[in-house]
Amino acid sequence: MNTLTQTTPLPSTIDSPSPLSFLKLWLSPSKGIGLLLPIGVLVLWQLAASNAWIDPVFLPAPAKVVQAFFRMLTEQDLLVDFAASLKIVSMGFLSGAFAALVLGVGAGLSKRFEQFLSPTFDTIRHIPGIAWFPLIVLWLGLGAPAKVMVIAKTVFFPVFLNTLQGIRSVEKSYIELAEVMTLSRWQLVRKIILPAATPTIMVSLRYAAGLAWALVVVAEGLSGLEGLGFLIFRAQGLLLADQLLVCMVVIGLVGFAIDRSMFLLQRRVLRWKQGFEG
Amino acid sequence: MAEPGRLEVKAVSKSYNVPGRPRLNVLSSASFDVEPGAFVSLVGPSGCGKSTLLRLIVGLDKDYQGEILLHGERIAGTSLSRGIVFQDHRLLPWLTLEQNIGLALENSGWSTEKKNKAIREHIELVGLQGFEKAYPHELSGGMAQRGAIARGLVGQPEILLLDEPLGALDAITRVRLQEELQRIWRVEGVTMILVTHDVDEAIFLSDTVVVMNANPGRIVKQVKIDLPTPRDRVSPEFAALKREVLHAMGEDQGLVLAREQLAEA
Repeated sequence: MNTLTQTTPLPSTIDSPSPLSFLKLWLSPSKGIGLLLPIGVLVLWQLAASNAWIDPVFLPAPAKVVQAFFRMLTEQDLLVDFAASLKIVSMGFLSGAFAALVLGVGAGLSKRFEQFLSPTFDTIRHIPGIAWFPLIVLWLGLGAPAKVMVIAKTVFFPVFLNTLQGIRSVEKSYIELAEVMTLSRWQLVRKIILPAATPTIMVSLRYAAGLAWALVVVAEGLSGLEGLGFLIFRAQGLLLADQLLVCMVVIGLVGFAIDRSMFLLQRRVLRWKQGFEG
Repeated sequence: MAEPGRLEVKAVSKSYNVPGRPRLNVLSSASFDVEPGAFVSLVGPSGCGKSTLLRLIVGLDKDYQGEILLHGERIAGTSLSRGIVFQDHRLLPWLTLEQNIGLALENSGWSTEKKNKAIREHIELVGLQGFEKAYPHELSGGMAQRGAIARGLVGQPEILLLDEPLGALDAITRVRLQEELQRIWRVEGVTMILVTHDVDEAIFLSDTVVVMNANPGRIVKQVKIDLPTPRDRVSPEFAALKREVLHAMGEDQGLVLAREQLAEA
């Protein structure tokens, strides 16, 4: 018996990784492979600009774009617009995800409640958020609430459906175990069903966060006078390709950051799960 | 521990209605008694109803004919007085070892202190000290099954039911865990009922081996094992009992195989 204990590897729970160590890992030489492609694109962009393959009005050189970035930062309150977009996305994401989790758990646990909701939800779901937007703007005006609402709607459905699915696919053997332990319904939900559904829910939250960020740009472009989406469409109208590219790069990088944060959150929440790591 | 009671299985039958076929008898009039503190094994080929019988005793399945009595009362549903260890360890992957074991105490009504003490003692009992905070995926198959045994025992049930708990383990781990199980049974003084298809395992561990057969699932013989412990798996007495059990199962082929195994050993 002792030999068994000795030959088995010790649990690796001791070295629970800090966020900083993740950052280090990410920037380590072996992970530098992910930087090759962006550098390649940057080089190609520089070549295209300096050799004037494309009219500089439409494709300014990278350096010009960097200059435009600092000019926007110092003279044009880029941060204010950035904060406006971020606020709308956060509010929309949080409210949509919260409602989806509550109703998703409800529908997952009660077949009746699911049957009550599903015809309505399955219809609304197929009307894209952006198709709702004009009507919502008529009701709520051009300000932030309409955008928050549309983002919440877009976040709601993937999270709702995955929560429902996650709950429904809990293994029957675990339910049996709960019965043997004489767990009450509430204990069963809290100790077994919700944790078992968490992996599915986390995936949908990560996916929905990406959707939310993409949608805010569209919504801001369609209405209102602030935010990155507004800036990008204004830049197009004024033929300011450098500012347009600044906005695009910022949007891309923020989206990347959102996705990575969601990934880290997912890893933290699901640290008990061992999967294929490539 | 609650006063261990006598378990009486009286003419228990279970059958399923399969559309378009004759009614399927998974268990036909099975009767046997288990004295408090005994170790009883149910052995038989697949389809003999041994696992069905165990599910009925633990209370996961309430639909049967006949009577299963504990303390003279009919078993209706699951109870903390009857623990079970499944073939798959069934530890919840999102809980650490100690949390998994603690889950069995959720409705024990014990104080936190008493729970923590019981968890600690049972982790020690199965030799998993140092792995309290480990998640199931960090444990080997044998260790996870020890954890499941600790979980089954932590609430101090009268009866521990074991549904082929060692079936999925490799031969060496299996023999080691059989010895462990015997030690734990002595230390805890709990009644154990083991379902297995391994005749050696049954004879090595039990006071009584209940031999079952299939089509329909039924009990064909009860064999008392009066060998002194620790039991020598290759002694002539052990072999004789094994022959008796295999013969009752009608496993002539198995008998030949068993002889070959003995010759090798």
